[in-house]
Amino acid sequence: MNHIIELQRVWKRYDTGGEVVEALKDVDFHADPGEFVTVMGPSGSGKSTMLNVLGLLDTPTEGTVYLDGQDVTDLSDREMTVHRKRFIGFIFQSFHLIPTLSALENVEMPTLFGDDPTARDRATRLLERVGLGERLDHRPDQLSGGQKQRVAIARALINEPRILLADEPTGNLDRATGRSVLDLFDEIRREDDVAVIAVTHDPQIGDYADRTVELIDGRIQ
Amino acid sequence: MSVLDDLFRRVPALLMARRNLSRNRIRSGLAVLGIIIGVLAIASLGMFGTTLRTGATQQLGDIGNEISVSPNFQEGIEELTERDVDEIRRAVTDGAVVPVRSESKLVSRGDRQTVTTVYGMEDPGALYEAEEGRIPDRLRQGALVGSGTAGLLDVEPGNTISVDGRTYRVSAVLAEQQGISLVSPNNAVIVPVEDVNGTGYSQVVVSADSGQAANESAVAIREALNEREERVSVFELQSITAGINEFFGILNAFLIGIGSISLVVAGVSILNVMLMSTIERRQEIGVLRAVGVQRGDVIRMILAEAGLLGVAGGVIGAILAVGAGVALNAFVLNDPLATFQAANLLYIVLAVGFGVGTSVLSGLYPAWKAANERPVEALRK
Repeated sequence: MNHIIELQRVWKRYDTGGEVVEALKDVDFHADPGEFVTVMGPSGSGKSTMLNVLGLLDTPTEGTVYLDGQDVTDLSDREMTVHRKRFIGFIFQSFHLIPTLSALENVEMPTLFGDDPTARDRATRLLERVGLGERLDHRPDQLSGGQKQRVAIARALINEPRILLADEPTGNLDRATGRSVLDLFDEIRREDDVAVIAVTHDPQIGDYADRTVELIDGRIQ
Repeated sequence: MSVLDDLFRRVPALLMARRNLSRNRIRSGLAVLGIIIGVLAIASLGMFGTTLRTGATQQLGDIGNEISVSPNFQEGIEELTERDVDEIRRAVTDGAVVPVRSESKLVSRGDRQTVTTVYGMEDPGALYEAEEGRIPDRLRQGALVGSGTAGLLDVEPGNTISVDGRTYRVSAVLAEQQGISLVSPNNAVIVPVEDVNGTGYSQVVVSADSGQAANESAVAIREALNEREERVSVFELQSITAGINEFFGILNAFLIGIGSISLVVAGVSILNVMLMSTIERRQEIGVLRAVGVQRGDVIRMILAEAGLLGVAGGVIGAILAVGAGVALNAFVLNDPLATFQAANLLYIVLAVGFGVGTSVLSGLYPAWKAANERPVEALRK
């Protein structure tokens, strides 16, 4: 199999004070390198839960998660953290940059705790690539929304991941800026052979996607 | 600056910590202020104790260097013989041995008179200093008058006084002795030893050069004289000075204990600050965890923040404490340099250590809490 990530018969149940909520019901999903998949669905349909399971931030109640062919369902926190660092880049709706760090330091941040002498050069090149070569030393509050999201994308790419997980990446951006971010995703998946999985409401993302998966009430339609 | 940058590159937790603390300067400043007060309280109260002890020791003078040997009345021994004195002389290797006889007698000059203690001594120069006149090497004739008696009888060297009808020429008036003494000369008259009745001595005073030597002499005298029977009782003033020292030790511990309370309060305020700032930064910490920062690194980062607060507070507190110590010693002892002694250094190191320790300890819970939150929860809006 050449799926970079795969969910097999995944269930996720939450116990919310006596009442069990089923956020994911028997979900089968996969993505291949270089593929752009969008997951769409109304709010509360389990999209974020699915993204968390794909991103090794959460473990399924039932079912199996494969990352690059390896079963990663029951790893320890430490091993999950190592795998996240190696395989996965995250992009959030509200960017989640660290306000006290410069753009360059934000991009370097995932490599900060660890001996990585080339990280600064890689971060500089990534910021140049996303068009922010002139703004390396700017703090997040000195950047526009689109620029912040570009910094966040550069941060997601710093460890050369195989998968980019994006949670409403255009949610806080105007239409034109959103398009330029999506163009960047398109370029990354083509040039770097990265699988991009985006959870969204935004129908314009559909134009970029190879495939759209619809999730309603925790089930893939 | 480049050294600092280098340090930050090596220890990223410190870089993050410094940036995080600069985020809310007033809050960080107040937390540091708490530690400053705590460290200042411990260090300056400790130094205050040292100053008290130094002052008291100065007041006590050299009494720790003297021991008194007296006959053991419980065994029926009423006076010390020449043989005893010889044995004491042999036992004492370092210090002057002054046998003393004493009696109460009527002393008069002209129409003034008083009943006072009269000491018979051969070598009073070993114990006393003259204020006026001169103390002869061996007292064979003439009398020495203590300052109190001299004032009472209005005596100067060269005058004559009468002791129980016997006339003496006054060789010297003795300097007033401050503090405690085994044989206080202030209200006494000292005459040649043969002139006081009796064959033995009521006590033998040994004046050594140091407290240590006095103690060794006391041990040697007990061994020499009390081997077969308890002939003499040996009274060391060092036991008093040791007691006083012990008292000041307790006082110091008590003062430092009070100071520590303020440091505990400072610790609670750091706990509060760190807890608030980690709760505010929940999402950020969630992002850190999501992009592959391990729990241990998050803990290190937050402990570094707490540690930086502690180090900053400790250093400033120590500097202020030294300043307070210099001012105190200049005022009380007239010697500002008395601040820089080993005991005070110890208090400062102790206070700074406590300050940093308290801060780091207070950072533990917030660090643990932040690191153990699941990133999913932290990232939820």
